[in-house]
Amino acid sequence: MTVPDRHPDVPVTRPDAQVHFGVFFQGVNHTTIWSDPESGSQTDFATFERVIRTAERGLFDAFFLGEGLRLRESRGALHDLDVVGRPDAITQLAALAAITTHIGLVATQNTTYNDPADLARRLQSLDVLSGGRAAWNVVTTDNAWTGANFRRGGYLDHALRYDRAQGQLDVARQIWDAFPDAGGSDAFSGTVAHVSEHSAMFDVELDPTTPRSPQGHPIIFQAGDSPQGRDFAAANADVIFSRHGAVLADALEFAADVRRRTVAAGRPEDDVKIFPGTGIIVGDTPADAEERARWVRWNQVSPATALSIVGNIWGEDLSGYDPDGPLPAHDPVVEELGGERGSATTGARTREVAARWRALAEAEHLSIRELVVRDSGERGFQGMPASVAEDLIRWVRTGAVDGFNISPWIVPSGLDDIVDRVVPELQERGAYPTSYTGTTLREHLGLRAPLTRRAAATAVGAA
Amino acid sequence: MGLDADGAGAHPAAAAVARLAGADLVSGTRLARTVRQAEHAGLTFVSFTDALLPAVAGSPASARLESVTRAAFVSRTTTAIGLVPQVPTTYPEPFHVAAQLASLDIAASGRAGWLAAVTRDAATADAYGRTVVGDVSREARDVVQVVRDLWDSWEDDAVIRDVPTGRYIDRDRVHHVDFVGETFSVKGPLITPRPPQGQLVVLASDGDVRPALGRPGAPEAGGAERLVDVTLVGGSGVGTARGNATAAREHSPLAGVDLEVVLDAGGRTGADRLAVLDASTPAGVRSPWDTRALRYVGDAAGLVALLTELATPGPDGRRPVDGVRLLPAVLDVDLPVLARDVLPALRAARLVAAPRAGATLRESLGLPRPANRYETRVLADAPSA
Ligand SMILES: Cc1cc2nc3c(=O)[nH]c(=O)nc-3n(C[C@H](O)[C@H](O)[C@H](O)COP(=O)(O)O)c2cc1C
Repeated sequence: MTVPDRHPDVPVTRPDAQVHFGVFFQGVNHTTIWSDPESGSQTDFATFERVIRTAERGLFDAFFLGEGLRLRESRGALHDLDVVGRPDAITQLAALAAITTHIGLVATQNTTYNDPADLARRLQSLDVLSGGRAAWNVVTTDNAWTGANFRRGGYLDHALRYDRAQGQLDVARQIWDAFPDAGGSDAFSGTVAHVSEHSAMFDVELDPTTPRSPQGHPIIFQAGDSPQGRDFAAANADVIFSRHGAVLADALEFAADVRRRTVAAGRPEDDVKIFPGTGIIVGDTPADAEERARWVRWNQVSPATALSIVGNIWGEDLSGYDPDGPLPAHDPVVEELGGERGSATTGARTREVAARWRALAEAEHLSIRELVVRDSGERGFQGMPASVAEDLIRWVRTGAVDGFNISPWIVPSGLDDIVDRVVPELQERGAYPTSYTGTTLREHLGLRAPLTRRAAATAVGAA
Repeated sequence: MGLDADGAGAHPAAAAVARLAGADLVSGTRLARTVRQAEHAGLTFVSFTDALLPAVAGSPASARLESVTRAAFVSRTTTAIGLVPQVPTTYPEPFHVAAQLASLDIAASGRAGWLAAVTRDAATADAYGRTVVGDVSREARDVVQVVRDLWDSWEDDAVIRDVPTGRYIDRDRVHHVDFVGETFSVKGPLITPRPPQGQLVVLASDGDVRPALGRPGAPEAGGAERLVDVTLVGGSGVGTARGNATAAREHSPLAGVDLEVVLDAGGRTGADRLAVLDASTPAGVRSPWDTRALRYVGDAAGLVALLTELATPGPDGRRPVDGVRLLPAVLDVDLPVLARDVLPALRAARLVAAPRAGATLRESLGLPRPANRYETRVLADAPSA
């Protein structure tokens, strides 16, 4: 856990900015300490219900579900150490919509293995049923390995994935804009526009069936960090779900980059909100928080997980090694990682990572497990509730982020401390709402009208 | 006894005649209220008819939300009634369909079904950007088969959470399905664990999902593999409906009759109401209301008599019909009559029983929970001698 940078000379540029929270319910991870007796089922509805009710009680903007369309494997065998198995996001969020009233519902859905007519309709259905609380977190999985589960197979070149994402989103927006605006006494008046898109990647023609929700469109989130990903977000997204949630200087740099790209895309610089994924651990004293954080980090990396993570970099099965012993004496046998699937590690990086790890382990006398804990432990905020609140406020008011997407390290109880102890501290400092002020996710996030609807909104406003 | 709870009702002019505004027609509030009424009436399941394209192109009155999303939304506002979205087999991705339906079954604590339907029109192919599927039956067979394979791809107890070894799942109990069909293949396993019912109840209209001959390697030794649990048949009269149901039971355990109803209500006869509905049918409607379903127009007592006749055992002592799916012309008009005058009479005659809160749809229909086709434990535990 990296202690957030409390650098005093980072200027406060937004003294009134409020902290926003979302919760990221991860479906596949070793963040969740499933071995703890307090850890609940990852698939029972009751688990999701408890998490989302806690988040709504804590006035969170949104509840997020991730997506992965093939179970991870290492060297031909299913990865069996981490939490795995999750519901389809839109289906699950529809069930959660009926038992909640305000919180936003964010479905991660990839653009490569979905058909635009189908996906746009499902997202809009969720948006209508929830009364305008739906969002789409756009991801671009393109690997042929995931494609093996789909009719189209692994057909997309890596370089084309954001082209496909753009096309997919363009069709979705046409579908969402097809219905005449809601309101007016006779909702049968007007005509639903025909959607027709014929481009290099799409050849679709349809008459949509899904009317508008109170927020106009599902909100667009984007998660992806490459330059193309950032440009895609700058041109299209309402919110970036970023990885830059641990070091303030890094978050500021990311924010500046995103704002530059947003302005270049012809939008106001504050049009894209930034929500990094992060973790929060609180304790009664600084030492207690430190102790809890150490416990969390250590338990997130079981002995088998440590060997598996190192084995992935070495490209071989190291399960016979002693997790409390040193790294393998030999260098990694592979340069390219072919077998490890569904992880973020790319082939080119393996030697580099191995060299860095070896240097770190030698310098600090670390065992395999200690090394993995040291290097890959979940990062975020820790401390007493008041100091965590102050750190969070600083991040928001220096313009580094607009809010935080919290991954609890245990479910379903992992948000309790944050809602019961951190939220009141934020409220006391005037940096967090005391009630929901709107009913739609667009209102919670303070977003302008959907990008494709702004001309229409201006025209109505002027009339 | 099931009920279709789609939109304003089954008749294409239902929304127009009921004067339901587009926003009300599709609202979550209205949906939850309708399904709660159906549950209180003691119906076994509701289905959600669906299609990607509207009944009338360009008409806001053809507003309709996607069916699995609708079913999921009411999964937690109900406790006993089965939830059966219609999901086509022709164009959607089978992997997504399997995950969505498994997730629905989890959210509904085992009350989910799937009305597997084929799509014959070319316009849907254009909406998906695909070429028209020629042999929709063969495609349906492949899709139902792979979805069923995927529901079994996790054995029931695959999540072991074994702290000493650090293993969350037992990888020997999670399987690639390695399905290779004529037009697509799926590697598997599913991203979602096995649903509570093991296999959701699969319903299909007669002729949509034809039984296949046993695939090599299919778990059932030889013969036709069971793809459909409940076949829905039509008929021009009670006799033909009973005959169709008997024939359908050759290849599915249960057979039900689709029955369109237009009841006397609000001081108007069913016949009058139907005339008004027919006269109000919008121009350009994709499928007018003259389907293959059996139809009843008249008062509640007559409907009770018809349903009793349908359920009367034949000479062999067996009921020719296992159930009925009601397709009310206008939900807001016909459902209250069904709830007040029809279902209580059938319950009194012990022809139907309301589902128990907490029961799975399989239990409500008297279907067993199927064993997992990949089950390995029995073999592993068997003595080696
Ligand atoms: C915070 C965060 C969360 C993500 N969650 C998911 C997810 O749930 N499912 C998924 O397929 N990809 C997820 N991704 C992966 C991105 O979509 C992935 O980085 C992208 O496909 C690659 O794009 P890039 O090269 O632009 O980074 C996530 C990425 C980030 C930064």
